[in-house]
Amino acid sequence: MPFGYNGKILHVDLTREAWNVEEPDEKWYRTYMGGSNFISHYLLKELPVGIDPLSKENILVFACSVVTGAPLSGFNRYTIGAKSPLTGGFAETEAGGYWAPELKFAGFDAVIVRGRAPKPVYLWIKDGAVEIRDAAGLWGLDNWQTQEHLERELEDTRIRVVSIGPAGERLVRYACVQNDLEHYNGRTGMGAVMGSKNLKAIAVRGTQKLQMADPEKVKEIGRWHNERIKTHPPNVGLTKFGTTGLVKGINDGGFLPTRNFKEGVFEGADKLAAPAYHETIFHSNSTCWACAVRCKRRVELAHDKYPLDKRFGGAEYESLAALGSMLAIDNLPAVARGNQICNLQGLDVVSTGAVVAFAMECFENGILTEKDTDGRTLRYGDADAMIWLIEQIAARSGLGDVLALGVKRASEKIGRGAEQYAFHIKGQELAFHDGRGKTGMALGFALSPTGADHIETPHDVAFQGDGVSKLFPMGLFDPVEPLKTDAAKMRFFYIGQKAWGINNVLNLCNFVSVPIHAMTFGRLVEAVNAITGWDVSLYELVNAAERSNVMARVFNNREGFTPKDDTLISRWFEEMPSGPLKGKRIDPEVFRDLVQLYYDMSGWDAQGRPTRGKLVELGLYWLLEN
Amino acid sequence: MDVEVRLFESLKKHLPEGGKVQLAEGSRVSDLLTALGISTDDVGILMINRMDGRFDQLIQNGDVVTLIPPIGGG
Repeated sequence: MPFGYNGKILHVDLTREAWNVEEPDEKWYRTYMGGSNFISHYLLKELPVGIDPLSKENILVFACSVVTGAPLSGFNRYTIGAKSPLTGGFAETEAGGYWAPELKFAGFDAVIVRGRAPKPVYLWIKDGAVEIRDAAGLWGLDNWQTQEHLERELEDTRIRVVSIGPAGERLVRYACVQNDLEHYNGRTGMGAVMGSKNLKAIAVRGTQKLQMADPEKVKEIGRWHNERIKTHPPNVGLTKFGTTGLVKGINDGGFLPTRNFKEGVFEGADKLAAPAYHETIFHSNSTCWACAVRCKRRVELAHDKYPLDKRFGGAEYESLAALGSMLAIDNLPAVARGNQICNLQGLDVVSTGAVVAFAMECFENGILTEKDTDGRTLRYGDADAMIWLIEQIAARSGLGDVLALGVKRASEKIGRGAEQYAFHIKGQELAFHDGRGKTGMALGFALSPTGADHIETPHDVAFQGDGVSKLFPMGLFDPVEPLKTDAAKMRFFYIGQKAWGINNVLNLCNFVSVPIHAMTFGRLVEAVNAITGWDVSLYELVNAAERSNVMARVFNNREGFTPKDDTLISRWFEEMPSGPLKGKRIDPEVFRDLVQLYYDMSGWDAQGRPTRGKLVELGLYWLLEN
Repeated sequence: MDVEVRLFESLKKHLPEGGKVQLAEGSRVSDLLTALGISTDDVGILMINRMDGRFDQLIQNGDVVTLIPPIGGG
């Protein structure tokens, strides 16, 4: 009997309407641990090279980890992965909430979905039993209607649901997946993959207890962790303001992406940020399973044009930047309303904001005209144009049908020089952190296997001066300089990526875990061992994190990615035009040299391919033939 | 007692002359922040002598306090 996990992986074939359970051995679980490693394992072993991500050949993986569902703050996340319809490469996207612990309590550690159902279906998983059920009555419903419908149909208000909205059904390439209307697997287009499989939702209900190897020790760590969360400054701030507290600091630092990454300071930022947010639209804190941080925001507002409902998840930092500063909109109710529409329709708000910004810049420069927009103008600062365009994208109507492809494909289709305003890396739109202000973060955007991704490494700014002592346990002792692009910066990124990778592999929330928040490296190792009964070391966790990065890299190389794809957007090679970072840029030649240095440090060859030695070191013998 | 402060990013503008603040015995970090004119809302990272600190923590003579605003995550 394993501790902390079930030892069971559910496989569902929608084409054949069949399912079976795999029971991998303990060595497999201890090698891969969870999250992106589970995803890479199945994609690399089973997916033919070159398939269309929206075809029935794609494999969709919902993965928890060996510690998901332990009664500790932040041990509640899961990862969804497949081949991405946005990048054509490895996809993974994490979310918190309640669904992942429920899946563990229902008897499974992961769900692997293959094929395509002949008509819309949903999965109903209850305590080890699985049904593939008709979803004809659900197709076309938004995420809230879907949740309500399933609670009625299954006669249980305690079910936990992941679902897609109409955007996923219509294969918008950056459609997201949600659970409980407040938690979103936003990036890499996994909602479109669900839609392509005619899979509307997975409802789960579990009443089984997860066995902890040392329950008293887990409780003791939980008490310590939750007490520390109350007084540890990064967590104090998250409880009070959530991520909305980041807007002011990022804007003051001069790297808040504004007007499609053209500028780093938004003159209207104070109207979007805490405390204004909390004085106007804030309703209450919300949280994820067993988490004491409570960083989630619920918002509510009676408003003729921009009503807000507390059930649908309030705007967070990325949403405020996506639909606020990126579009030069300082109308907070409108920004929060746009976020709510994205949530209900099932659109990734990061990519959606970037796509709308791209369209507005094209319009400002005459590449798109009123002929393309049904006679409407698309100017920066126009809140109604933003909301109109989001609805057009979700419905795939008019210009929205083209923009539903993402900025890379949309710019190619529009032509007329639109590519110069289409900012993406590996085909994925960027999250909202200007790399000219934190160059380690820029390296993360360039080197992430999923395309531009800000959950790749901790942000440089926290490790200035004595802040670096948070990474002492990983062997980094020199303070980090946010604006430097040199070998020391690459060493910070390399080490930081490993620390962050531990959280991604174990499906832990970065907002409770190492290296910034209340969990420490030492206590994290203790927690993993108290849950599983193993005797893992930090070294073993770092190896698992590296395994994740290497397997995703091998997948991308197999799909034809090359070092040219490890790049940045052109605007970051140009001087910041204004603000505290005026004149700052990243030198493209220095950047290319740093990427090669990263390959050297990683044990990859000059083409960015993990070497035979690296694969053997990580025990990935089965990848030697790739 | 003397406390050395090291401020980063937008908090730099609060740096006192010589980088030091004189505080009464028994002062806490929250007293230091008041003396500097910095709100706890604007502090993301707080280190005292290279260890994680708390806002209610007592400060000792010669302590080195590092403050960085919340500008990571998302």
